[in-house]
Amino acid sequence: MSNSYHMPVLPKPDGKKVTINVDGRDVEVPEGTNLVEALKTIGIATPHFCYHPDLPVAGNCRQCMVETDGPRGMGLAIACYTPVRAGMKVATDHSSEKVKTARKAVMEFQLANHPLDCPICDKAGECSLQDNYMSAGGQTSRMREGIGKQYKGSPENRHQDSKGQDRGGKHLDLGPTVILDQERCILCDRCVRFMRDVAGSEQLYIAGRGDHAFLSTFPGSELSHEYDLNVTDVCPVGALTGKHFRFHQRVWNLVSTQTIDPTDSLGANITVDHYDGQAWRIMPRRNPDVNKSWIHNDTRLAYQKLSENRLAAGLFGKNEIPLSQATSRLGELVRGARKLALVASGHLTLEDNAAILALAQFLGSRAEVFGGSWLPVGKPDNIARSGDPVPNRLGQKLLGIADNLDELVRRAKEFDVLVVVGHDLWKIAPSKAKALEAIPERIVLSAWHDDSVAKATLSVGIRSWAEVRGTMVNCQGRVQMMQAAPILPSPDLEPAWQILSSAGRLGWTSELDAFRFAQGRIPALAGLTYRNIGPMGRILEGVVA
Amino acid sequence: MARTVPRPEMTLAEKAYVPEIVKGLKVTMGHFLRGLFTPETLPVQSYPETPSVIPRNYRAKHRLMKRPDGEPRCVACMMCSTACPANCITIQAGESADDRIEKKPVKFEIDLLVCVFCGLCAEACPVDAIRMDTRIVALAADSREKFKVGLKDLMSWEPKDYPDNDTQSQKAPGGLLNAEAKKQWGIS
Repeated sequence: MSNSYHMPVLPKPDGKKVTINVDGRDVEVPEGTNLVEALKTIGIATPHFCYHPDLPVAGNCRQCMVETDGPRGMGLAIACYTPVRAGMKVATDHSSEKVKTARKAVMEFQLANHPLDCPICDKAGECSLQDNYMSAGGQTSRMREGIGKQYKGSPENRHQDSKGQDRGGKHLDLGPTVILDQERCILCDRCVRFMRDVAGSEQLYIAGRGDHAFLSTFPGSELSHEYDLNVTDVCPVGALTGKHFRFHQRVWNLVSTQTIDPTDSLGANITVDHYDGQAWRIMPRRNPDVNKSWIHNDTRLAYQKLSENRLAAGLFGKNEIPLSQATSRLGELVRGARKLALVASGHLTLEDNAAILALAQFLGSRAEVFGGSWLPVGKPDNIARSGDPVPNRLGQKLLGIADNLDELVRRAKEFDVLVVVGHDLWKIAPSKAKALEAIPERIVLSAWHDDSVAKATLSVGIRSWAEVRGTMVNCQGRVQMMQAAPILPSPDLEPAWQILSSAGRLGWTSELDAFRFAQGRIPALAGLTYRNIGPMGRILEGVVA
Repeated sequence: MARTVPRPEMTLAEKAYVPEIVKGLKVTMGHFLRGLFTPETLPVQSYPETPSVIPRNYRAKHRLMKRPDGEPRCVACMMCSTACPANCITIQAGESADDRIEKKPVKFEIDLLVCVFCGLCAEACPVDAIRMDTRIVALAADSREKFKVGLKDLMSWEPKDYPDNDTQSQKAPGGLLNAEAKKQWGIS
């Protein structure tokens, strides 16, 4: 396998166009792109395995064959590595029998040693091999049963290397997160390219030659990287599967809700895949300007916390009380406070923070808003994380909430009521937060039974990040939408803005009221609606230099 | 649109009423006397004294097929629960102890009260693991929970209750004790 490939040129929204002839019709496509991308812009899907828009082009699966004109007339070429040229002629499977038979033949080779594992394969339902078989293959097998297939699960194929490590076979443990099934692998080497060119840590390679080639880790080492679960996404078949999702749910049952990464200020675009009122996994959602197609392992596993240790009711001291009672008690305490400290959170949406500001505005000089975070800011890894674990830090700043938690600690004695919204102060910095225990009434709004809830005199359960609709501003100054997945642990849970709105009698009925309040505070949000923010987000002008 | 169906024309004898009554009484008395003297010739079953005969292909309560080592043949692919129009099958998958099988159900629950006995689950199964040939049609329990049958219930059937000539019903490939599978996979 060659070691240097080129990244594909992707179409730009304002790029130049050239005219090419596809299936006898002249069409305009973006200049400089490859044929897979060019044909995609005019609505023709080309089946492929090894091509991935965010990985270097390898061109080894040969599934994307089209006919193009050359010096010797029309001939087959791979669409993923053929750049468009003004005036070129292209024939796809819509007009060319040759392309159809070529794709069918490639498909037959791909399936020659592929097991019929679909019923027990976690990829079934979102598998390129299944999709392409339906579109390009469709042949009956010419294999006789039991002959021609290399059954790699048998003991003779389960070989160990000189260091005693399992190197061949089915369900091989590659490392802490990923399991490999060599029999299902079609050797597209996407995972190899991901680890080498995106993760920057070459841990996988294709060993052996020809029919005996197999995917493996290097001798004596394992696949272990903080982005290694992305190899299970790029894998077009079920060869690489993540241990966290293995056998948990069939993918055709899952419904995706588009939201954004709650663990980092880059706000990687993700989907929460849910079924039957439960989140089963998180998948990356491609956004070329934010996270490409990648997410960090911690982001991917964030769904596991959505059903664990949830605060689904109110807590008065240690006693559980119904949410409605907790909410009304919160309202009484807030309205009757002599001096109230409101702690906003960069972990919550703009809407929730807007509600905090609106509540402070309602209470006038009796209330003060504190914000920011004690969490340290790390370095960006240039893949899908900015290093800042507070997702909406910029949004909070834009709303005019200062980074002044230390001031709150210093002046703690001045206040008689503290309201902390979705911000686990006691977990982040227990030594600093200890001073806040001087405030007699400590009210915590939290989605989890966290350390702050343990220190609170009154706690109110709220919806978690996956269950709210709202917006966040990422570190690029991009406002992004979060949609609510229907996975509430208790149907009574309300988002933080709603609880605060009833405490301050703001009369807000939907997220839009909160968003309009935020628009009043952030001029750059003017003219935006939930609809025109769209799934890819919108850059706010003049927010980040 | 309404359609008028003409009434059949009656003959004079039919219009006279009494001869038809006599004819009807003849049929009734015929059956009565037949039941009195030769009841075995009647085309009815004396249920419940004699149990009703249910054909093997009648869609009755489900059973799960077993491998020779007693593990379920089911590979937890969830085709049945996907095909189920009543959504009455709940499956939780887990790792099988047998390397070559990989996946097995750790929970397989059918809510017989929700089931519509359509047979699509048996139709969808790629490994012939679920069948509806138990001929158990009278289901009774004293709570709704007891109608949710699990792995243990679905697999507690006796091979002797099923025909010997149905080889699939008695043995299936796979399983740690299956000699045939061992031969095929080349392990002793």
